[in-house]
Amino acid sequence: MKKKKSLKEILTGSREVSLILILIALLIVVQILSGGTFLTGQNISQIFRNNALTMLMALGMLCVLLTGGIDISITSILAFSGMTIGLLQKYDILHNTFLLFVIAAAIGLGCGLLNGLIISRGHVAPIICTMGAMYIWRGLAYVISNNAWASGEDVSGFSDFGKDGAIGPYIILIAVYVLFFIVMKWTRFGRRIYAVGSNPEAAQVSGINVAGVLTKVYMIMGVLAGMAGALSVAVYASAQPNMQYGKEMDVIAACVIGGVSMSGGRGTVLGTFLGALFYAIVAKALPLVGLQAIWQNLIKGIIILVVVLLNVLTQRAMDRANLERREI
Amino acid sequence: MAKKSGRTIDATPKGGVKRLIFRWEGGLVLIFIAVLILGSLISNSYNAVSVLREMPKYLCEIIMMFAMGYILIIAEIDISVGAIVCLSATMGCFAGNAGMPLIVVALVCVGTGLACGALNGLILTRFRELPAMIVTLATQIIFRGIAEVTLGSGGSVSFQNAGTIMPLANMVGPIPVVFFVVVAAAIIFIFALSRTTFGRRLYAIGSNSTAAAYAGIPVQRIRFTNFALIGLMAGLCALFYLSTTLGANTTTGQGYEMDVIAMCVFGGIATTGGKGNLVGALIAGFTIVCLRIALGQRNINTQLILVIIGILLIVSVLIPAISASLSAKKKRKTVA
Repeated sequence: MKKKKSLKEILTGSREVSLILILIALLIVVQILSGGTFLTGQNISQIFRNNALTMLMALGMLCVLLTGGIDISITSILAFSGMTIGLLQKYDILHNTFLLFVIAAAIGLGCGLLNGLIISRGHVAPIICTMGAMYIWRGLAYVISNNAWASGEDVSGFSDFGKDGAIGPYIILIAVYVLFFIVMKWTRFGRRIYAVGSNPEAAQVSGINVAGVLTKVYMIMGVLAGMAGALSVAVYASAQPNMQYGKEMDVIAACVIGGVSMSGGRGTVLGTFLGALFYAIVAKALPLVGLQAIWQNLIKGIIILVVVLLNVLTQRAMDRANLERREI
Repeated sequence: MAKKSGRTIDATPKGGVKRLIFRWEGGLVLIFIAVLILGSLISNSYNAVSVLREMPKYLCEIIMMFAMGYILIIAEIDISVGAIVCLSATMGCFAGNAGMPLIVVALVCVGTGLACGALNGLILTRFRELPAMIVTLATQIIFRGIAEVTLGSGGSVSFQNAGTIMPLANMVGPIPVVFFVVVAAAIIFIFALSRTTFGRRLYAIGSNSTAAAYAGIPVQRIRFTNFALIGLMAGLCALFYLSTTLGANTTTGQGYEMDVIAMCVFGGIATTGGKGNLVGALIAGFTIVCLRIALGQRNINTQLILVIIGILLIVSVLIPAISASLSAKKKRKTVA
């Protein structure tokens, strides 16, 4: 009796553990259905390479969602920074991979700072501010591109960084995830983000500069979106103004599957990683188990909905169990 | 009783909020006139007739805008409407191609939209813990996914019996039919919002839904009605979309949800709920439509419009926010 309870507690108590179990079950099913062709080194590395952008930006989105905000301008920032460095190469102004990454991140930082200031100092609702930013940066990406795009030839040197088989995207992913894991768990700044998200008034009263934390959170998101812009150019070996259009919803969905609450204060780096991985594996596995590409979005959407609804149901069950325990 | 509560709502914030809203709509009218002048300056063919002729393409978004205004006033959001338009237009197209008469095509469009909206509403009222943002995000992907599956590998369908749907694309004199639909919708929605119990309840829910529930307002039923309503209007939007484009594809309606929310916010409706009205949104909607037509006629990089809408959007929310914080500071000073 006692043992059963503790097992149940482990399963429902930690979001990460249940996600890992679901992931393992999913992998086994896919492995069997695909006749053992799914879990190969090549497939796994492709999963990470093709979803590096989502995984990278999901970390920034985690911080933003933790404060109870949302940022839907990320793919526009991505397009603007990616287009900028694409054009820098197209017109032979700059070809240094490292400098191009720095420029992309700096553009992202600027965009994020603007979002952060408008939201924290101007007291504008995050969805509205970032919606405006979404229009502005996407529009500017079109305007600077002047209806042209940077082709694979233009960015040939730069795309060596992210081409199939290069280790660039993996290094960035690992470095950023380790950094965020440490920052969110063990530094003062990371804990302040949680404090602001759980209860902004209490955080303010206890001496935390709430507006400052908010601004920094959107700046982090901006830097990651800017870097994702450079990474996108490297991985897909081209830059168009319409790149990754609408993909911000994928990033938010990855976070939500990973257990990040949209009302703030709840969510972890590990959960975000698992959520993004889950999303990526499903996308990769569907064609392998015989479902055509046109079914992908429908199934992705249903999975998100089911995960979100299950989350509510388990939360309700947990609350009820807690109440019962208290009555005894 | 409604009269009494209406009076109390008006009486308290008369100094600040009401004057601001008043000024806001005045400002919008000025911006609207400025856009018209700008349009006639940059393009020779920019006149009432040509603008009205090009309008149907853009007007179908405004049909949805009123319902989105309701949704925002009760402090909710619906980002699935673009996908609902896509699905409804797809279904309408197939109905038309099967040789159905116009009335059936219309019913299919509106019915599909209503069903999608009702599904949103059902989930949101059964699972009240969930924010509308995440639910409509998921259903957005699902609705578009259903459309993708229906459309098959080609990803698009065209309306073959164009004659069926042509009556909707007709002109009455210089005025397109859809213009009358927008005007009728505007009158109904504005009247219902400001003069009926239902409308005033929306404000009550948006200001404080817990208090509204304790005051006996059926909050969940009204939430459901609103989500079903916006689905229905999205279906109507899809019908008129079909009449102008004569076809649907997987990207149909992409970004409509953001355009419509932008029009509402630019028109002075706060996404935090309980504030704003549809008159402002109507002027804002027509301002954006006329601006688009002006830039389109001049062949100015049409994406520049995105930058302009974005800036308008941010500035239009920054101004009230800043003036509110300034007046709060002043009040604090006088108290001290």
